[in-house]
Amino acid sequence: MSRVCFGFEVHQPFRLDHQFDPEAGRRNKNLREVYFTAKNRDLLERVVQKCYVPATEIVLENLDQGFCCSFSLSGTLIEQLEAWGKDALDLFQQVASHHNTELLAQTYYHSLASLFTEKGEFEEQIRQHMHLMQDTFGVTPRVFENTEFIFNTTVASVAKKLGFAGVYAEGVERVLGWRSPNYLYSCQGIKVLMRNYRLSDDIAFRFSNRQWEHYPLTADTFASWLAATPGDCIHLFMDYETFGEHHWHESGIMEFLRWLPHEIALKDTQCILPSQALEQDPRDELNIAETISWADQEKDASAWLGNCQQLAAFREVERAGRLVRDREVWRYLQASDHFHYMASKSGSCEEVHSYFRQEGPFKSFADYMRVLSDFEERSASLARMRGAVLGLRCLPPEKAFHFFSAYGYTGYSAYSLDDFAMQLEVVPKDSLQFHVERGDFVRWVADVIGDHHLAESLKKYHLPHELFDAVDKRRKYLWNRLK
Amino acid sequence: MESLKIAFFCWESLYSERVGGLASAATHLAETLARDHEVHFFTRGDHDRVIKDVNYHCCQPEGKNIVDYCRSMSMSMVERFRDYDIPRFDVLHFHDWHVVEALHLLRERPNVLSFHSTEFGRNGGNFGDWWEFREISTKEWYAGLIAQKILAVSHSLKNEIGWLYQIPQEKVEVIPNGAIPEEYRAHIDAGEVKHRYGIHPLTPLVFFCGRMVFQKGPDLVVDAIPAIIQKHWDVQFIFAGEGHMRRWLTDRSQSLPAQFLGWIPDSEYVRLLNASDIVVIPSRNEPFGLVLLEAWSAEKCVVAADVGGLAENIENFRDGVKVYPTPESVAWGITYVLNERSKISSLGKEGRKKIDRLFKWDSIAKNVVAAYRSVMA
Repeated sequence: MSRVCFGFEVHQPFRLDHQFDPEAGRRNKNLREVYFTAKNRDLLERVVQKCYVPATEIVLENLDQGFCCSFSLSGTLIEQLEAWGKDALDLFQQVASHHNTELLAQTYYHSLASLFTEKGEFEEQIRQHMHLMQDTFGVTPRVFENTEFIFNTTVASVAKKLGFAGVYAEGVERVLGWRSPNYLYSCQGIKVLMRNYRLSDDIAFRFSNRQWEHYPLTADTFASWLAATPGDCIHLFMDYETFGEHHWHESGIMEFLRWLPHEIALKDTQCILPSQALEQDPRDELNIAETISWADQEKDASAWLGNCQQLAAFREVERAGRLVRDREVWRYLQASDHFHYMASKSGSCEEVHSYFRQEGPFKSFADYMRVLSDFEERSASLARMRGAVLGLRCLPPEKAFHFFSAYGYTGYSAYSLDDFAMQLEVVPKDSLQFHVERGDFVRWVADVIGDHHLAESLKKYHLPHELFDAVDKRRKYLWNRLK
Repeated sequence: MESLKIAFFCWESLYSERVGGLASAATHLAETLARDHEVHFFTRGDHDRVIKDVNYHCCQPEGKNIVDYCRSMSMSMVERFRDYDIPRFDVLHFHDWHVVEALHLLRERPNVLSFHSTEFGRNGGNFGDWWEFREISTKEWYAGLIAQKILAVSHSLKNEIGWLYQIPQEKVEVIPNGAIPEEYRAHIDAGEVKHRYGIHPLTPLVFFCGRMVFQKGPDLVVDAIPAIIQKHWDVQFIFAGEGHMRRWLTDRSQSLPAQFLGWIPDSEYVRLLNASDIVVIPSRNEPFGLVLLEAWSAEKCVVAADVGGLAENIENFRDGVKVYPTPESVAWGITYVLNERSKISSLGKEGRKKIDRLFKWDSIAKNVVAAYRSVMA
């Protein structure tokens, strides 16, 4: 008898206001109003009406008839439901109290904190989410699902340290090798549930694809595939918005959801919960040093950290932790979604990215940096070491230093003093020479960063490593002042 | 792990006399080691300094010819070495034949010798009959004889020194060169760069960068162009680099879609590297092939000759396409990737992953330290 375990990731971010203007917003002290778009409410109301309410009603009916599934609800989603979607929240509460469901833990802010160098922030956000689940639903999750299935040995160790019984990961061939995802494994001493992405994607991506050979997919057919799949347990996991939002009602997805549990039961397949799947002994130990995830074809972190701009934004938001006071806004800015909008990929992955974002990748990056920079500037005015925070703050593209040579833009840009030091080490030497001769570094440091002390000392230096030393010394000094 | 006191002997570094690829390899290795160890770098130059925790000790040798010059350099290096030998150095790392006299004088101390190339290889895989060739080859043989452990940048170099100088295989360990991928991956608008060279933004660009000499095989690409444009009429070629073949090649490609830029600054190299679609490396002989790591760093698809270090490091059809060093084969390789455009980016991305996995200086320095410990034991 086959066993199948369903899981749904439910998340809505606080999207940024693309019209954000640092000057116009200067007087408004409510950062949430200034940085995040009012459209978040409309978007939430739309998804509540199209997906959360109708899908959850169907799920509730099915739960009564023996269907089992787990939910991973982000903290930012719960906040939005509390404000603008009480009906849906009620339904989720009914689901959570049902004995056939299980709630999973994730990071409160659906963030990329697991990829930070320091793991403290990641742990903190998981704890916050655990408290939220306890407060809102009276449940303590036992299984952990990291943002977008981002997983590596570090995530496994943190999950183990925090006492989880198991953790979800993507069943990627390159880490499984000859193994099947339909068995239980372990990593760093914690049990790992591997998602069967082929079967999951049949529902999540291919369901309404008219070019697909199995279109239209019926609950009956899909259940027969499950029944024919060998293994201890098939883990199907997808965005909850698959039902009604990614695939519209007209595609028949809701009927599929309604009848699937019934067909599964008919095919002699059992639905179980993640905790039940964890009762077995792991078949093998996996060593997953590289970061894997469920995103795109690459199934790694490249959906969020694939290009230079995504990496720059990510470095800056990590550093911001030591510059800003308002932890909550800082954490909203860590949501994986912001980085997803900045992706510049081609092919079918590009379609997924553009489906989710409102604007082009560069615009998303520029908007993000503008908000983060303004946020740090505002924090500076409240800080004791105002000068140090200002000297270390990040800058939007229009204020960043773009390295040129006589031929044109070299492809390197510095978005903060730290970044500048880093780029001085890798930018082609002739570009540095080009700017030294024109006095650009001195002008940028003095006029844009506003660090006249450093600008003075840069006047004395010409060689790349001397420039690096001067900048490096200064940035370390400023960080020390903040301690 | 306890920290070691390490002495480097190398005739060039990035901050003093810079001649070729050896400067960047030795400097980056020293800087990486200096994060955990005390590193003293004996080299040429006008004054001592500390850069990124590496202590550079300089000397100014003299000599009428390269052999005398290097002997004088070795002697001065050993003198300078003695000034810093309290407390005693744990291990001494020598680079190439230039410092053989220093190795001779300090041969009782735990030592490691790196071969980055051989005189035979630098001469295009040919023996020479002039006195410098014989003198330098003899020094390479002697250095290999007295060194306690030898590091070679590739298996083909290991084989080469094995048969050239009768160095036993078990004495030689292969540790490749590293790369700093950030130096070559730039966020540029490929269309803008192509436009500067009069190339349409959507036109595929094949890029060659290297010395215009027989060893590097630029002629193989020029001779491959007619066959390629029969299948893909719009492909463009850019050749960067100086050398005695440039003039001849420029004449030979009069009617072909090829541009010869000659020497270009690093920044333009990085721009072209990132703007191109295919990087071609048609070398006839290549002990390592640093340009491969640079192309991979920029996530570029490579079509490379199946020789030396290139053959060892490329996994065919996974992170690059290997061809024979003949015009027909080069044409086949370039046409093959152009036929399957989706391959172009996936081959490059796999290459970049390989860099992150195998060719970062951190992991290379670990292997070097393990080699140090084997001679200290």
